[in-house]
Amino acid sequence: MTNYLNVGQPQPRIDGLEKATGEARYTGDLKLPRMLIGKLLVSPHPHARILNIDFSKALTLLGVKAVVTGVDLSGQKYGPFRSRRDETGLARDKVRYIGDPVAAVCAKDEETALEAIELIRVEYEELPAIFDVEEAMQEGSPLIHEEYKTNICAQRHFNFGDVEEGFNSSSHIREDHFFSQGLSHGALEPRAALAHLDPSGRLTLWTGTQSPYNVRQDLSLVLGLPASKIRVIKPFVGGGYGGKGGLSSHEVAASLLAIKTRQPVKISLNREEEISMTRLRHPMSVYVKTGVRNDGAIMAQYVKCIANGGAYACTSVMVAYNSGLTCLIPYRISNFKYDGYVIYTNRPMSGPMRGHGANQPRFAVESQLDMIAEDIGLDPAELRLRNATQKGDTSVNGLLFRSCELSRAIREATGASGWKQKRSRKETNRGIGIACGGFVSGARAGSHTASSCFVQVNEEGGVVLSTGSSDIGQGSDTTLAQIAAEVLGLSPSDITVVSGDTETTPIDPGTFSSRVTFYAGNAAMRAASEVKHLLAETAAKFMEANVEDIEFRDHKVFVKHAPDKEMAFRKLAELTISSGHGRSVIGKGQWAPSNTQFPDRTTCYGNVSGAYSFAAQVAEVEVDTTTGEVRLQKVTIADDCGQVVNVLGAEGQAEGSISMGQGHALMEKILFGDRGQIMNPSFSEYKIPTAADMAGVSFLGVGLPDPEGPYGAKEIGEGLLISTLPAITNAIYDAVGVRITELPVRPEKILEGLRKK
Amino acid sequence: MGESSNRTRIVLNVNNEKYEIETEPHKTLLEVLREKLDLTGAKEGCGLGSCGACTVLVDGEPVLSCLTLAVEVQNRPIVTIEGLFKDGHPHPLQRSFVECGAIQCGYCTPGMILSAKALLEEKRNPSRKEIQEALSGNLCRCTGYNKIVKAIESVIKG
Repeated sequence: MTNYLNVGQPQPRIDGLEKATGEARYTGDLKLPRMLIGKLLVSPHPHARILNIDFSKALTLLGVKAVVTGVDLSGQKYGPFRSRRDETGLARDKVRYIGDPVAAVCAKDEETALEAIELIRVEYEELPAIFDVEEAMQEGSPLIHEEYKTNICAQRHFNFGDVEEGFNSSSHIREDHFFSQGLSHGALEPRAALAHLDPSGRLTLWTGTQSPYNVRQDLSLVLGLPASKIRVIKPFVGGGYGGKGGLSSHEVAASLLAIKTRQPVKISLNREEEISMTRLRHPMSVYVKTGVRNDGAIMAQYVKCIANGGAYACTSVMVAYNSGLTCLIPYRISNFKYDGYVIYTNRPMSGPMRGHGANQPRFAVESQLDMIAEDIGLDPAELRLRNATQKGDTSVNGLLFRSCELSRAIREATGASGWKQKRSRKETNRGIGIACGGFVSGARAGSHTASSCFVQVNEEGGVVLSTGSSDIGQGSDTTLAQIAAEVLGLSPSDITVVSGDTETTPIDPGTFSSRVTFYAGNAAMRAASEVKHLLAETAAKFMEANVEDIEFRDHKVFVKHAPDKEMAFRKLAELTISSGHGRSVIGKGQWAPSNTQFPDRTTCYGNVSGAYSFAAQVAEVEVDTTTGEVRLQKVTIADDCGQVVNVLGAEGQAEGSISMGQGHALMEKILFGDRGQIMNPSFSEYKIPTAADMAGVSFLGVGLPDPEGPYGAKEIGEGLLISTLPAITNAIYDAVGVRITELPVRPEKILEGLRKK
Repeated sequence: MGESSNRTRIVLNVNNEKYEIETEPHKTLLEVLREKLDLTGAKEGCGLGSCGACTVLVDGEPVLSCLTLAVEVQNRPIVTIEGLFKDGHPHPLQRSFVECGAIQCGYCTPGMILSAKALLEEKRNPSRKEIQEALSGNLCRCTGYNKIVKAIESVIKG
């Protein structure tokens, strides 16, 4: 691995001090003169037609300025995918879940708005509701979106090789069922939006979003306002993990109210609203049938996933695809069949959450591989090694693995964790388990997929990098600053990053699918290189050298082979900018991988990503056999994310992923009532890991530079989370011989499992 | 009715400055800090005292300001995150959090730093377990807590 000055170093966040001093402003912190506070009125019914909304009484309350409902909208539907736009922001004809927004009020303060909400009278005609996926899939069951004529929201099917043949040549076959529960993102910042219409009719929306451009596009549709009249600005964001992706009701409502009142309107969701009316991780049942040869090589695999998508599609079509995709990344499987379904029900909608449909099947497959390993008397790590994807492979569905260090990851994770000794120990309540996975570094989208950056140098040598990608806390601004600094021989502290403003930063799909380092990082490299070339031309003239011999490092420029010739970067910038009539030093970069395809809608064949990350995780647990409680002690992660750009950032992603995976495995569960409503929409009832639950983490970077990635970097945001959960459940089995197939693991289930033995 | 007529005048001592404000008795300290004094470092994460994002120090003790009435803490010394950055110099905890990579999205950070400050003023050399326990009321979804604990240990080492 090359030694760089910035890339590959531990780099503190460039916005760290703002956050540490309380100066970082999130959407809820913003204030504008004459600002009004908005609140949403939601449906009390899981499925009903809206007959009439009477808000006359609400308007008589002193301090109430306006009420808006679905009739104030253009009638156009929106959604993250063009092929399935089924959201309106505020319900127009029907409500489809308890919590579905119906109207919005704005008033001089929150208390008045809340009082006004109570005074809005909505007449509903209740309709039969369905909550169960099997029931919803039946012919003749009540339709949630009549226009689609079915409650099957999305489906994808893979059929590669010949699974029948593969099973026939297997010496051992297993069939198992698994279930993964609904989860909430749990971002500490509940969502908020602040909208303002200026006198010329231009709308500005400040919102903690992952994708300002997508929000602008969908807002244009639903408001009937041209996109060039809408500016979306992303302030600091307090965590997203996928939940702050597409346009949401509170953003639509705030915009409508701002347009109606001509005053700024802020809507801040409280925690109950944040959990109950936003997106959840898809509850999913997974059926896996796998056949292996004597030596453990996988001969065939059939996976069937049925996910509960809730009332609106959101990104469900991607989930249906991703659940199949994940099975073909870490292991070589020549005969693979997959049927994936996401079903509409009258429950809050499911949407993208870190891992986006890969987590649930990963749990199933990794658990089953352990079960197979036990059946055939093979070490689980060895079983993975015998099937691991290798660099240079092409999977049956066309994925190109131009870099892959999975085998090395498995060896290093097991080596560093003391796998062999711990597997053979006699202690009956301690266990060690392994799981593997791989993930896309951004997926080819059907529409705009490339990222762009601008880089501008000022007369003092200061640099501004402008990107449409959103730093939502994952540290992308810092990563991009490191990359630009590396190109120009500067430090990240010399780079100011401006991100997420549709008026001033270049068009970008935003932050999702683990794409930012890979796509925007490359765009930043190109933009910085353009600027470097401009400056090098001036340097060449002044230092009487060839442009190709100009080198940038340590805040200076040098001439190769002439070590006494040097100039400060600052001086070079000044010279360049003041030359002739005066010049600007601006570089532009745009990038998307050249070897990706949007997967075929029927066959799902296609290299969906420019590079794939790989990881092996080894988890160690201790089980209290009296209480059934499981304590996660330590996780060793060996990660191939190519070239690590920010060591502190990579470790942070690993540690955060482990905590989230720990929650998924051991603690979290969205509880649905008998009318589909969320019963535990608070942090006291939906428990996420605390500092007391913290496990020890050992992070090993085992990747080699990827040919497509910026400085060889690949993703790290989502790939680690997907293997944490099964590593933990496999460790539990190793500890006490209890196999949990329905999540989360609970003490009662452990005790029951122990009793059964 | 939208108009409240039961406002009362109170004096709050925040970050060594006295503020005379008019507020309804039912307003929480969090609301008053954020809306009346524009000190937005303390955050609302849950409104029910379960997440710790609203943590401030009152008489040096960590307090959930979303569950505290402003009128309850009149004249008692209140410290918010803004009070730790003096004359352009960050508090050692602020510096350490930044340098150790203990900050990702930053939303839990103000509350987390204040809880840590209170701990270090109570115990000069807490064990890792004691640090974890003391912070267990401050939720973080980004970091997994590992670097937060390291940042605090780094300040203890000096």
